[in-house]
Amino acid sequence: MLVEPSDLNDFLFRQFKAGNESAFEQLFKAHYNPVVGFCNQFLSDHDKAASLAQEAFINLWMNRSKIQSSNGVKSFLYTFAKSSCLNFIRHKKVVSKYEDRHLQDMETKINSEVLDSFDFDALEFSEMEALIFQSISELPEKCRQVFMLSRFEGKKNKEIADELEISVKSVEANITRALKTLSVKLAEYLPAVLVEIIMHYMS
Amino acid sequence: MDHQQIIKYLAGNASEAEVKEISSSDHKAEFISLKKVYALTATSAEDSKRVWKEEIARRIRRTDNLRRLYTYTSYAAIIVLFFALGMVVQKQLKSGRGSEMVYASNMAVDVPLGQMSNLTLPDGTTVQLNSGSHFAYAGNFKEGERVVEMEGEAFFNVAKDPEHPFVVKTKSLDFKVYGTSFNIQAYDGENEVNTTLIEGSLGVLSKSGKEYTRLVPGENINYNGTSKELTVKNVNTDIYTSWQKGLITFRNEKLSDIAKKMERWYNVEIQIEDPKLADELYFGTIMKNKPIDQILEVFKMTSSLDYRIVPRPGKTTLIYWE
Repeated sequence: MLVEPSDLNDFLFRQFKAGNESAFEQLFKAHYNPVVGFCNQFLSDHDKAASLAQEAFINLWMNRSKIQSSNGVKSFLYTFAKSSCLNFIRHKKVVSKYEDRHLQDMETKINSEVLDSFDFDALEFSEMEALIFQSISELPEKCRQVFMLSRFEGKKNKEIADELEISVKSVEANITRALKTLSVKLAEYLPAVLVEIIMHYMS
Repeated sequence: MDHQQIIKYLAGNASEAEVKEISSSDHKAEFISLKKVYALTATSAEDSKRVWKEEIARRIRRTDNLRRLYTYTSYAAIIVLFFALGMVVQKQLKSGRGSEMVYASNMAVDVPLGQMSNLTLPDGTTVQLNSGSHFAYAGNFKEGERVVEMEGEAFFNVAKDPEHPFVVKTKSLDFKVYGTSFNIQAYDGENEVNTTLIEGSLGVLSKSGKEYTRLVPGENINYNGTSKELTVKNVNTDIYTSWQKGLITFRNEKLSDIAKKMERWYNVEIQIEDPKLADELYFGTIMKNKPIDQILEVFKMTSSLDYRIVPRPGKTTLIYWE
């Protein structure tokens, strides 16, 4: 390899800052779907999630002079996505899938709480991300495979079961296990819930 | 309850009864941390290549062109200003007195400070003008040249006529309308144009007539005269149109900006004594058609502001914010 991935990133970032459209295109292709997925998690409305994500990229481009480092790109996108989602939820534009008023309110409240607790400060975000990937790589082989197929390739549990020739139940169990491990590893970034989680696993 | 129920919920497969169980406080903390992991590792199956080509690339090229255009127009404006100065000086030299403003239009309305105005144009379009606005159109409007000029704030309900597009000109942007209702804020002193589309379709044009984008209902376009930046976003349209009903919502606006608006609405002069107060942000809704002392009371109760009213005979009332 001629260039290290991190150098490549830096190069892309510098080109992007200078207003190079193809560099921006690379950034877009790398981050667009994850940002849509992030928004969709809170809006349960795919079209809306896609349009918020697009807005995030347009604003990233218009504000590129203010982005300081290549980590700042993701941090800008997710901060933008976070506040757009919060705005959207607070104006009660989200169409809930529940008929029960209490459940709707509960969902609004929990979603705002989760969004509020994210801190996409550039440094912290990249650390958090590194931790997620580190933790994923430390998962047992089968568990990691299942998790990657489910979360990064967006495959349905049934599809994963067929592909790996295991039962759907076993797919579910592996996803559960992966998430459990990750949420423990991430605990230091979630100080509010840290104690409770430890308590839970000690009991 | 185990993790699998939470996962079921995150994947959108849980029943209402199961969701109720998750929401009980015992599991909430755990649920939040799982949801965070889930959101950060989420993805979607959108075709990013297509979105890039059809949406992003198109839109960034527009904003870039727009920016470049504004750099040119600011040079152009300087040159025009020199010409204009030259002409005024010549004219003054010839006649020995100041030149008179000539309107190229057959109809012009200036809404006094502290008042609003309703107009119906020859084609049936209705326009509501907020205080301190200027509005004009030319004599050939009736013949189908639907072009108007404005400064200030106006709400348009444009009569449908596909043959004759309706054009609104402001100082820095033009808007081309295809039968629609929308709100424009383009006060001269504020250095910003803010336009919100309520229904229909609205083209945003450079002063040279090139279309940069077309708004869809619920979208707001903001042009900042200082940074020369253009931003399109989805907004809660009520905030931008409620002034017609006399309701004004401030969303984290600086008190100094609010003071500027109040000066316009009530035809008073406001002096902010404490510079810290000028930067304070305010969030709230007021009823504009109430007397100013009632409004000031509301501000007093909901912010750290106190006020003093000084009536001045023969001049506008002076109000101190301290």
